[in-house]
Amino acid sequence: MEKTAVAPSEQPRAANRVISGTRSVCPVCLEVIDARYVARGERIYMEKQCKKHGAFTALVWEGAEEFERLVRAGEGQPCPSGPQHCIGCRQHAQKTCCVLLEVSDRCNLSCPVCFAGSSEAVATPDPSLATIAGWYDMLMQNGGPFNIQLSGGEPTMRDDLPEVIRLGLERGFSFFQLNTNGLRLAQEPDYVQRLAQAGLNTVFLQFDGIRDTTYEAIRGRPLFDEKVRAIAHCRQAGLGVVLVPTVAKGVNDHELGDIVAFAKGQMPHVRGVHFQPMSFFGRYQEDLADSGRLTIPALLRALEQQSRGEIKKGDFSPANTEHPLCSFHADYLLEEGRFVLQPSCESACCCSVPSDQARRVVARKWSAPEVYAPTPPEEGSLYRADALDAFLQQRAEVERRQFALSGMAFQDAFNLDLNRLGRCYIAEVSPDGHLVPFCAYNLTGTDHAGFYRGVK
Amino acid sequence: MDRQKTYDAGVSGDEGLRCARCGEPLVLSPVTFTYLGHAFPVELPACEACGLVFVPEELAKGRILHVERSLEDK
Repeated sequence: MEKTAVAPSEQPRAANRVISGTRSVCPVCLEVIDARYVARGERIYMEKQCKKHGAFTALVWEGAEEFERLVRAGEGQPCPSGPQHCIGCRQHAQKTCCVLLEVSDRCNLSCPVCFAGSSEAVATPDPSLATIAGWYDMLMQNGGPFNIQLSGGEPTMRDDLPEVIRLGLERGFSFFQLNTNGLRLAQEPDYVQRLAQAGLNTVFLQFDGIRDTTYEAIRGRPLFDEKVRAIAHCRQAGLGVVLVPTVAKGVNDHELGDIVAFAKGQMPHVRGVHFQPMSFFGRYQEDLADSGRLTIPALLRALEQQSRGEIKKGDFSPANTEHPLCSFHADYLLEEGRFVLQPSCESACCCSVPSDQARRVVARKWSAPEVYAPTPPEEGSLYRADALDAFLQQRAEVERRQFALSGMAFQDAFNLDLNRLGRCYIAEVSPDGHLVPFCAYNLTGTDHAGFYRGVK
Repeated sequence: MDRQKTYDAGVSGDEGLRCARCGEPLVLSPVTFTYLGHAFPVELPACEACGLVFVPEELAKGRILHVERSLEDK
């Protein structure tokens, strides 16, 4: 019997047209198997067959012409070793850019949806500061410094998180992003101040919508008021915030326009929105998986519709460093209350320019904008630099009106493409101090167990 | 709270700077910085005899560096 990752209403009916082949995994046993992309009308599916567990089909994209163009742009060899062999593998096609440090497995929520499978019940001790210092040293020996994402679990469960940042700064890392649900930031403004003072650049705030019903569905309880408080405390501490919605079809895909409108109202400290269409790994509800997959084109179409055309699907550029099927971005300038698209700048991607400049660009894009306040020259001053002041002042004002929309579609066992995986530039540090690409690290089979979190 | 970037307004001009090459006193003169297609007219101490320009360290490490980075990152 054919197993499927799509809703019955989305079952392919039209004639097959094979677009290309790649390698993937069986969603049940995670063994590497052949896979192919098949177009049925405008819908593109990944099809594969495991000798032990049968055939699988997963919706990947909507829009055949665009898909073929992106697949050509991302042409390459599937990763030869497979997701279970990332540690020590020297064949990864992409240089690492961003690194997630899971500084705590603990969490103050037990979301029905969690790629890390974290919960309030987790009793695993946090890695010590000495262990984290060792991770930083390992990263510097392996091409660092990288942009650091403090993640988990919920990283703010640690009282010593400012010290974790300081350890990184001392070792030459300069960009720190906090991936958080924001609960502690909402409760403890002093803690937010301490993080800012330690050198935190930006907060990637889990923000699934503006309605409590959405949080109840995805996070298990109402949270909107706490999100608003967390944003206010970040603003007070001078921290930039990026709202990060996990978007599930039929749950909050009707709220995309509202999320962007809310973010616009919170500028300039809210710097943008980073959408993550839901993937099926770690902990997820089977009924969400059954309701079908939200593809990037469908998400962008919904965004266009719900923003009444202020944001257009055509505004977005695919990634040019990681695989073009993995992410999308557009940069805007707020002019008279409306977003005006800015020319696509490849430096929006932190990997396409030299690393120092890349980290600077990312830091400026996601950090709170500066207010440029030069001291006026005094009588008898040795120089006058009004033209430099005017330029910097204008630049700072523009920065306050800049806004970024982006997103990333993580892969799961149903749609994993080893060609995409080979191009992954986000890595996780495993507890024993190895770098593993994000979508391999978090990959889980239908039994919700994976290779790297000590379960399988 | 917004992060603020402040710079010195410049050291006092009565230090009696002199040109290292010809010993003439430096006087505040119009100078134009250009970088990546942008031009910035400023006034700096310069030697009227040989044209040597003195760029104060805090200006070089402050405003000028900031402008250069802004242009590079554009």
